[in-house]
This record gives sequence, C-alpha cells and structure tokens, in this order.
Amino acid sequence: MKCRKCGESAVLELRRHNAAFCAPDFLDFFRNQVREAIRKYRMLEKDEHVLVAVSGGKDSLALWDVLIDEGYTTTGLYLDLGIFDYSIESRAKCETFAAARGVPLIVRSVAEEVGAPVPVIKDVTRRPPCSGCGLSKRYLMNRVALDHGIGVVATGHNLDDEAATLFGSITHWHTDALARQSPALPSTHAKLARRVKPLYRLSERETAAYAFVRKIDYIVEECPFAKGATSIAHKETLSRMEDASPGAKHNFLFGFLEKGRAAFERAEAVELRECVRCGQVTTGTVCAFCKLADQVKRAK
Amino acid sequence: VAGGRRVKDVLRELDILPETVLVIRGDELITADQVVRDADTIELRPVMSGGAS
Repeated sequence: MKCRKCGESAVLELRRHNAAFCAPDFLDFFRNQVREAIRKYRMLEKDEHVLVAVSGGKDSLALWDVLIDEGYTTTGLYLDLGIFDYSIESRAKCETFAAARGVPLIVRSVAEEVGAPVPVIKDVTRRPPCSGCGLSKRYLMNRVALDHGIGVVATGHNLDDEAATLFGSITHWHTDALARQSPALPSTHAKLARRVKPLYRLSERETAAYAFVRKIDYIVEECPFAKGATSIAHKETLSRMEDASPGAKHNFLFGFLEKGRAAFERAEAVELRECVRCGQVTTGTVCAFCKLADQVKRAK
Repeated sequence: VAGGRRVKDVLRELDILPETVLVIRGDELITADQVVRDADTIELRPVMSGGAS
C-alpha cells in the first residue's frame, strides 16, 4: 500500500478516508485534524494557557504532545484514582512525559479529595466504578483549572469515545446528555472552565498510531475497571458497523453534531447555581461531588 | 499462526477487526496488505480504551 501524498510505502490505512499514509504524512494528517477541530469550534486562542487532563494513556498524551508542538502553553493535570498498579504505572508515564518535554504537571489524588480511592467509592456507592470516577474527574478538572486561573480544560476524548457516548445516550434517550455532548463546551458560569476535545475528529486507532510513531511511552494496559463497562460494549458494536461500512462512526457522530444536537440543546436549558458547601457550580443545592464525599465519609 | 500470508488474512483467522488493532513489526507499523513470513514476529496492539460514566 502506498502513501496517498508521497507514494512511499504506507504504515497506516485509513479506510474511512479511503487513504493510506507514510509515517511523516500521517503525522501531518493528524495535526491538521486537530487544527481543524480547534478552528471549527474556536476551542483555543493561540496564546492561551491550557490545562490538559492526562491519564497516561495514548489519547491524552498524544493530545498533550500535539498541543505543545502547536505552540500552546500547557499544564498537565494527572488525577490519581488510586486504582492499584494501574494508577502507579499511569502516573509514572505522565511524569516521564512531562519531564522529557519540560512542561509542568499537577497531580491530585482522588483519595485525598473525595476521602477514598475509586475502588472504595465503587463499593460505597454500589454503582459502576466509572460513575464515581467520572464525576470526581470532571469536578476536580474544573476546580484545579479555577485554582490556577486557567480558563480551559482539554481532554483526550477521541471519535470513538464520542460516538460511543452518543450511542449510549441515544439508547436510553438521555436528552439532557444529548444537549450537552459537544467537542467544545462553553463556560456557562463564572466558575466553570471551558471544556474542549481537540481529538474528536480522530479515531482511537489513529491516536494509538500517532503515539506509536511519535514514540510516546503510554500505558497500553487498560484500566481494570473498564472491562465490562457499557461504553466498551457500545464501542464493539460501533466497530462492527465501521468494519461493514467504513465511515459509519464518523457519519453517526458528525451527523449528530451538525444536524441533531441543536434541537436537544433548545429543549434542555438548566439553571446553574453554586453548591452551598463547596461553592462549585451545580444544578441543585449541594453538588454531586459533595454528596459523594458525604457518602464515603458515612461509610467509614 | 502460520505465516506466508497477508496481515488481513491473519487478522481474519484470529477474528480480529482490523480497525481495533495496530499491527507492529519491529519498530514499524504495517498495513493489512503486507505479507508476514513465518519467521516474523508481529504485535497486535489493541487500541480500544474504555470506561465512561
């Protein structure tokens, strides 16, 4: 197979684009997709300080790598979830990456902030581990951004993540989630940082290939709690659709963003206020994070 | 698995969708039309990551 641009031997075929690329031209393609994402949704100003949420996995480290290369001022944020060896190893990957590139990394521990690590939160709440984990991450990303005066948080969500989330929301007709799903969420309150997903145009195979070609040392092993997660089941379903019809995932997600989302957004306006306990933004009186921390404290 | 075949045939025998893995030989990625020989070692690295609330 030959590279579409230069005719040299290709290293990666992208069926949904009906193309194959050599390593240097693939990196160009990848960076162009990130630039297009940032431009289309006006995600970042050129001189803006960006908080990059990193897990040690391929997506977030690839994102950090691209944003540094593109000239953004970045600070990494690693949230230690307390998930045994997985957390120890993934933290080390982030620290090595930050040290090699000379960029700052902030580390926060869920065990310290919530009162218990993710495995204990799972037992206390009797809900899937990803539930308390996701809630804690979203809360802490926003709070750390505010504490450091950073207006925008970038996460490594890719096309497959976004398509799987969309699939899950549609399966249950979670219209509030459909209203919120976007590659770029604006700040709707003085205490809310903007959230952007500059990799939403790239599949997880493309982010893995980018990380490999760029020799980024990322954690290949998956979070032990991801096994059996419904998001994985959704991804598997979508992958079979993609195999039968290349571009299916892309069309599913992009069609929603371009044609579907606005209708849900109009129908789902919510009033935001500040949590009476911690002062962070919530739709209720006490925010979900404080309720979670209470639940953990009561169980001790 | 036996070599002397294209990557895509190896993946089919293992029932792996090509979109779900990187195929690595040595320190390079290879495409599904490449032939792997019996003496080759290839790594099939899953690309799916998960977990979401």
